[in-house]
Amino acid sequence: MSVVESTTRRTGGSTPHRAPRRATRTRRRRQPSGLPWLLSVPTLLLLAGLLGYPLVRMVVLSFQNMRLRELLSGRTPPWVGFDNYTKVLGDSTFWTVVGRTVAFTAVTVVISVVIGLGIALLMRRVARGVRLLMIVAMMFVWAMPQLVAAQAFRWITDSDFGVINYLIDKLPGVNYQNHSWFVNPWQGWSVITTLVVWAGVPFLAITLNAGLTQVPKELVEAATVDGASPWQTLRNIILPILKPLLTIVTTLSVIWDFGLFTQNWALRDGHPEPEYQTLATYSYTQAFGQSRYSLGSAISVITVLLMLGVMAFYIRQMFKIGEVD
Amino acid sequence: MKRKIVAAAAIAATLLGAAACGSNDDKSPTTSASGAVDGKGKTLKVWLMVDAQSGWKGVVDDASKRFTDATGAQVNVEYQQWANHLTKLDATLAGSDVPDVIELGNTEFPKYVFSQAFTAINPGDYENSGTWLQGLKGACDFEGKTYCVPYYAGARVLIYRTDLFKKAGISAAPKTYDEFLADADKLQAAQKSDAKFGAVYMPGQYWYAAMSWVKAAGGDIAKQDGDKWTGQLSQPSSVAGLQKWVDLAKKYSKADPTKNENDQAGIFAQGEAGMFYGNAWEQGAAEQVKKDPNDPNSPLVDTKVKGKLAAAPMPEVPSFLGGSNLGIAAKSQNKQLDAQWIKYFTDSTSMAGLVKANALPNSTALLDKAATDNPTIAPAALAAKDTWFTPNAEKWADVEKGNILQTMLSDILTGKKSVADGAKWADDQINSTLND
Repeated sequence: MSVVESTTRRTGGSTPHRAPRRATRTRRRRQPSGLPWLLSVPTLLLLAGLLGYPLVRMVVLSFQNMRLRELLSGRTPPWVGFDNYTKVLGDSTFWTVVGRTVAFTAVTVVISVVIGLGIALLMRRVARGVRLLMIVAMMFVWAMPQLVAAQAFRWITDSDFGVINYLIDKLPGVNYQNHSWFVNPWQGWSVITTLVVWAGVPFLAITLNAGLTQVPKELVEAATVDGASPWQTLRNIILPILKPLLTIVTTLSVIWDFGLFTQNWALRDGHPEPEYQTLATYSYTQAFGQSRYSLGSAISVITVLLMLGVMAFYIRQMFKIGEVD
Repeated sequence: MKRKIVAAAAIAATLLGAAACGSNDDKSPTTSASGAVDGKGKTLKVWLMVDAQSGWKGVVDDASKRFTDATGAQVNVEYQQWANHLTKLDATLAGSDVPDVIELGNTEFPKYVFSQAFTAINPGDYENSGTWLQGLKGACDFEGKTYCVPYYAGARVLIYRTDLFKKAGISAAPKTYDEFLADADKLQAAQKSDAKFGAVYMPGQYWYAAMSWVKAAGGDIAKQDGDKWTGQLSQPSSVAGLQKWVDLAKKYSKADPTKNENDQAGIFAQGEAGMFYGNAWEQGAAEQVKKDPNDPNSPLVDTKVKGKLAAAPMPEVPSFLGGSNLGIAAKSQNKQLDAQWIKYFTDSTSMAGLVKANALPNSTALLDKAATDNPTIAPAALAAKDTWFTPNAEKWADVEKGNILQTMLSDILTGKKSVADGAKWADDQINSTLND
């Protein structure tokens, strides 16, 4: 909790003045100066250039009909109004993809947060050396680029050379030779979910572990003395203190998992079958695979709108924490 | 979210480039390759696919040298990967700094010709243009003009293990389809003790193979009627062909039904299959691999099946005629020079070099000579005489990119759909894609 608080305070409050902290604060409150704005100009310009401009172009593009011919000749594509949107929203394939993306996000986030919290709690209980070992191990997982991890999983689950099939096949009475993990979408998605959870847990565990260090020992001890079971302590003392942090890491996980692209793309070798498409890959395939740039843009705009709901919640939560401070 | 922005940025970047260069006129004149051109101080940018780098870099260098001697212009060849070359090409062609000469797969050409990415050429300027392979040239033709030059071809053949054939008591390559099935049975019986062994390696998304079986049964993928394309896979003869292929894959193949043919040579090299259906050069790819696959100059090492392979035409099954063509970018500033370079790179001297490197030449007139000059590609040269080609539709590349046929085959093989349902589904998808 204090991790979040201190970062909020640091980014929100400090100015490069050498003046005592209190003086800075009072002055700013009394006469608003343009300095903070001036200082954030570089950031704002970068954001406008790298985020704002493409976003505007994408929205414009979604109201046109840009195909390869227009792209290559440089002619302005014809305006088609909401045609792309009606086409996307009226397409049952799109809704299946939305449903799949939402379901995947829900399942993956719940699993990773529960495991992350579990590991964080475990880290409080083990000896210092073991905790250090756990952190180092998780740092390695965290540092691994998504694409590399996805390729590794692709090889592990390969039907001809994969080590998983080899090991399962060693069990007596089981024939897993040449078993294909992606024939059955439930199995295939289990592999993808495992990969995403595995890669996502370190961030959750390390952050939540930091949060847990801020739970006052006396409170837990007092509760234990009063006869609270470990489960009660967790539910009534630890979780309420951890709640703001938990909310933020959960929201972040939702945002990351909702945009799933690299993992299913790489595991399906760059051509995901219909049952392995998520919103991100679907829009990419439509835009760049089929040269329906405008249709792909419309799908992206809808995805952004869907995400805005989650983002709004996240930003509100950030402000709330600032206010408590 | 981040991905969205990256995609949007890519679109925006290409848009910016497009806006900067302004609009071109539609009516570009035909580019001639005859006469002398002075290219001193100029450098051509040529995009070839990686096969040229790994297979016949010497031919490229030799043609470029002859070109430089004649015109004084330099050549800068950049080798592209099949996996992402179209996405890269789209973004590059939208700008103004474009490659001058571009190689594309023959099935990829119609979409770009229709989108006016290439300039028209005069076929008479090129050697052997009267006998260009129809499967290559067809992709270049649009409204009475020719927009690319055939480069090389590939035909698929049956590649088999001679040692296993001998062990199973088979003395020669099968001459009929029934013999082929009988041989598969014998192989299977001789290797009974090996649970991983499959007589035929046939990956589930290998649509070039499955469609060859469809063609063999008299079926077709799609037919043009006026402006409209209609999928033909649910027609009885197509379904019969699909069924025959499915029966083969189910009975004799241990391949992953969700894999395509990209790494079949490598998997076959593990020694767990008796036969596979592949390009002639895949025989070499199965027998020897680069020690370091990332280094084009890496030494070759022998695999388990080195010296145990032979090839023959697949009996009673016409081959898909794969291959590549070369086009001159409509936005190129050096069109005359581009045409000259292509002339050198596709003349009989260069073609002889390609034949040595186990590729098929671009002309029917050179096929027989190729078969005698290089016995390795004799079966492929023979197979190249009975070939088929994908529908010459502007949007055909989108059918390939959309994985329609691959998905259908996987679904049928894994039992998600019956052959008839799968074919019906694919027809619907093909109709909406080709007539979009």
